[in-house]
Amino acid sequence: MSAEKTDLQIKLLGGATLGLGTGLLGLIHGWNSNDKSPFLGWLWGSAFWLSVAIGMLMLIMIFRVFNSEWTPIVRRQLEHGLAAFPWLALCFAPLVAFALFGGDNSGILWSWVNPATSTIEVTSEITVGEDVLHQKKASYLNLYFFVFRMILYFAIFCGLGYWMRKVSFSQDLDGDPKWTHLGMKLSAVGIPAAALALTFGAFDMFMSLEYQWFSTMYGVWFFAGSIRAALAVTIITCLYLSTKGSLQGIYKQAHQYDLACLSLAFTVFWAYISFSQYFLIYSANIPEETFWYTIREINPNTGERSGWFWVSMGLIFGHFFFPFLYLLFYRNKIVAPRIVFIVCWILLFHLLDLYWNIIPGREIAPGSAVGMEARPFFGSYLLWGLASLFGVGCICAWAVCRSYKSSEAESIPVRDPRILESLNYHE
Amino acid sequence: MDIKYGLSATFNSAKDLYEAAGKIREEGFTSWECYTPMPVHGLDAQMGIGRSKVPCFTLAGGITGFCTGMLIVWYMNAFDYPLIVGGKPYFSPIYPFPVFYELTILFSAFGTLFGMFFLNRLPQHHHPIFEHPNFARAGDDRYLIVIEVDDPKFDDEETKAFLKETGGKSITMIREPA
Repeated sequence: MSAEKTDLQIKLLGGATLGLGTGLLGLIHGWNSNDKSPFLGWLWGSAFWLSVAIGMLMLIMIFRVFNSEWTPIVRRQLEHGLAAFPWLALCFAPLVAFALFGGDNSGILWSWVNPATSTIEVTSEITVGEDVLHQKKASYLNLYFFVFRMILYFAIFCGLGYWMRKVSFSQDLDGDPKWTHLGMKLSAVGIPAAALALTFGAFDMFMSLEYQWFSTMYGVWFFAGSIRAALAVTIITCLYLSTKGSLQGIYKQAHQYDLACLSLAFTVFWAYISFSQYFLIYSANIPEETFWYTIREINPNTGERSGWFWVSMGLIFGHFFFPFLYLLFYRNKIVAPRIVFIVCWILLFHLLDLYWNIIPGREIAPGSAVGMEARPFFGSYLLWGLASLFGVGCICAWAVCRSYKSSEAESIPVRDPRILESLNYHE
Repeated sequence: MDIKYGLSATFNSAKDLYEAAGKIREEGFTSWECYTPMPVHGLDAQMGIGRSKVPCFTLAGGITGFCTGMLIVWYMNAFDYPLIVGGKPYFSPIYPFPVFYELTILFSAFGTLFGMFFLNRLPQHHHPIFEHPNFARAGDDRYLIVIEVDDPKFDDEETKAFLKETGGKSITMIREPA
């Protein structure tokens, strides 16, 4: 058993080296040849796993502050997931490093990092430093404050991750209820801290790719997507462990049903947030906001529908309507193959949702009708992104496997004051 | 003349009641009920009761609400008095979406509440079970099973004997005053 697991860990490390190595080579190549694609791909791939980890952290803290009776056995699996945070921080480090030490090309991913980078004002090409839309935001969107914030975000995530694991794992050893109280207090502080970190993190990492654009809903959108992804991974993990692992006979239909209900709730929440963002921008109809949606619908030079239109439609129907209607049905929430199908579907569409948010941006195209083009759906960023996605996924999976394998924690929090209620939980 | 409502039997523990409920279900009775001082997990399944039908009413309410919202907007803005507001089309599913959305929720809530009332036959100011001389103890330390006279399998003598067989004590015929 343990040899088998070690074998898996070696494979994961190999996968991580392969994926991250390819991605890093891509970054260097992109930096040399002024090609954004590997950077966008890397950001996309890392963002997916970061969102899963952030979702798990938020779920743990929410479970803790509600002192809920059914969650302890599920919470332990999430706590293992938090082991990925330091590695995720490491995965974001190259992007920040290129912004810091990238010289003339430091603005390759986030154009505002370097005021000399070219940008677009309506249809003409200017530099970021000349753009009044950047000048007004320069006190926030500047390199050193950005680096400071990135360090702060990951310090918050890693710190909360460390403490959420510590309070739970320590209780396994001594059974002292003080850990439960400490966990609740930390969560009460941690929820607003992590919420701010993920909101501003989403602003800095994803929204600022098109720094002219802004949406106050953006952080909430990222939160909603993160929780959906985290719930999906949790359901798959728990179902796997309940058939082949340590949760046999422990993870019951009642737990499964509640997790699926949460999935349904956050499906609606995601749609609510995404639609609200669209709706307000659509209603206000201000050019510096609408362009963001326009390039996700039409080719700005010809006015014809672009490939992104079908992705946008796909998100509406595939990321909301289908999972929503599917999860309304009781049997679909409790029959294992059915729920696994839909959570995999949600994960796939979450990936597409991030892609839709990160990839389509404006590229300066002298000579075209409006002086710029929107990046199309297919591009080398997709391939670079898949390599990074694989690499970051492997390193996170490796960290989580290591956490499972270490004898730090029992498979369920055996001395949690709520453990009996959680074990005997009933619909 | 009093009207017979049903035969009741009392049990001393949840376990006895649970086992008896299984036997009654297997015997094929349909109009019967258990009264317990606290919720007994798994009793619904043991009695052969499926999932609640309330969600159907919720869904129907939700669809009705959504369509009502669409109809209102289309009728007012595009049909009865076409009016351009803020450069938006007369009718589009986007700008009035909050209306559809809120009405979906409102009507779903109506569907849920009134569907529950309908399925539970509420409001009901009196229930024949209250005529049982010892019904109050079903809220304290006794478990009660009542097989109603309406049940097609009901027979005064046979059912009485059957309830005894299942381990029921103090078997009583509940009668409501006419």
